[in-house]
Amino acid sequence: MDKQKALKTTTKTLSWTYVLIILGLLYLPIIWMILWSFTNSATFGTWGEFTFKNYQDLFNGKQTKVIFSALQNTLIIALVASTLSTILGTAAAIGIHSIRNKRVLNAYKTTNQIPMVNSEIVTAMSMMLLFQVFRGIFKTGSQLELFEVILAHTSFCTPYVILNVSPRLAQSDNKIYEAALDLGCNYRQAIFKALIPELLPGIIVGFVMAFTLSIDDFVITEFTINNRDTISTLIYAKQSGKRALPSEFRALFTIIFFIILGLLMFMNKPQKSLDNKGKK
Amino acid sequence: MGNSSISNLRSAFKLKQFSRKYLSIPYGVFMVMFIILPLVILFLYAFTERKFDGSLTLNFTIANFKEVFSPTNLDMLERSFKIGIISTLACLIIGYPIALILSRSTLKHKNVIVMLFMLPMWVNFLIRTLATKAVFEAMDIKLGEFSVTFTMIYNYLPYMIMPIYNVIEKIDNCLYEGARDLGANEFTVLRKVTVPLSLPGILSGITMVFMPSITTFAIANIMSNNTYILVGDYIYSESFISFNVASAISLIILVVIGISMAIVNKYDKDGNAQGGMM
Repeated sequence: MDKQKALKTTTKTLSWTYVLIILGLLYLPIIWMILWSFTNSATFGTWGEFTFKNYQDLFNGKQTKVIFSALQNTLIIALVASTLSTILGTAAAIGIHSIRNKRVLNAYKTTNQIPMVNSEIVTAMSMMLLFQVFRGIFKTGSQLELFEVILAHTSFCTPYVILNVSPRLAQSDNKIYEAALDLGCNYRQAIFKALIPELLPGIIVGFVMAFTLSIDDFVITEFTINNRDTISTLIYAKQSGKRALPSEFRALFTIIFFIILGLLMFMNKPQKSLDNKGKK
Repeated sequence: MGNSSISNLRSAFKLKQFSRKYLSIPYGVFMVMFIILPLVILFLYAFTERKFDGSLTLNFTIANFKEVFSPTNLDMLERSFKIGIISTLACLIIGYPIALILSRSTLKHKNVIVMLFMLPMWVNFLIRTLATKAVFEAMDIKLGEFSVTFTMIYNYLPYMIMPIYNVIEKIDNCLYEGARDLGANEFTVLRKVTVPLSLPGILSGITMVFMPSITTFAIANIMSNNTYILVGDYIYSESFISFNVASAISLIILVVIGISMAIVNKYDKDGNAQGGMM
């Protein structure tokens, strides 16, 4: 009996050691990058001295103007695209929930899945061609590119809003909406005052998820943007030259990492309470 | 008077007609415009002749596909498949035990550890890749096939762990107990219960690693200093030369993804293995 117990403890220790080693490897590059954001050496091999210079340069240096205009584009795209996705996606989720025709329902569900399962590069390529054809028809140039990128982002973010709103709808009581109608609400009031508040946690998580996906996107943005830059496309443009990536970018990476960490923690919170509800 | 009664009638008619399902119409139109139409255009480009300004012609041809499978490209395709298979297998071998350990654990704060595995998925892959490159450079390891494969594994491991974890989490404990009561040892339980039941997760993980790893552009390019080109980078560079050839190869990828999704859906009817993002 003791022998068996000892064996069990050994297996447990071994397996957790394994998990921790892999976790360590997974984080090594990120930790490495954060560490080296605090030194002024140009390359990664040699440690200069401990300094916040990279962070100072980020806000007041050679690259500041470029970085902040890219940041501005990134935020405009993400805010508009995630707002559009949230509105479209919430309405669609409510609509899809009450579609009874099996064929129509399947058509919606299958099409909605395409952006989630498709390879990013295929989506990117198809979006680029769509705007190419639009530009040919309407004789417009690249002046509308931000708008185009926003549409492309809305297209791949909306399914994730639906993904978050639909389970809430399935759990919510259909009677609340009907009761609101019976109590004299018109349809608009019933939706905005009875249904939407019920769905709000899902809608918020969907919005944050869409926002995160949008600021994180590189492939689709790179294909649909021409003259401007977002943070991702700027990083790609800066690394592709012969010269090493400017050191203030390490500071930028560190800041982005912690912002994403914050967003993820936020997303996980309501999601968890949602899951618990589902389990009951 | 007559006017207002007509408008009353009209609004009454409208209200009576309103059903929540109409709320799906705007997105329906949007999907046709920005999901289906782009793929139709991609399809047309793939099968038509190239025009110097990149506009769409309607002269149908299969020359683009011949170009995709030209001898110089065959090398690149073979290389992509090799890297894809190695990375997927490595992710499965490394990731399966992790998914198993995490899902079987009774630890109080295991959610935190699960989240730690998911977090890298949300950090921009360019940043992750550049960080990995920095580590390789600091350790003075030559950039090439090994560094590319390593980075693929590093980038896509969480995508293998999550669907498998989700599926094993949902296996009923009774099945394990039943198997043990019937005399199975731990290894037999693993072989006869856990692995077969986690098959949908494994399949889903494979589709989430294999295609993305060979089609995502920039990783191979960055990790090999542009000496090791895979499908994704090829599409990217080809998109500056010929939309048509780039469309042809994208279309092939689309078909492969379609087939693999059909297979996954067949084995995973409840969608347990999906939604591995969170």
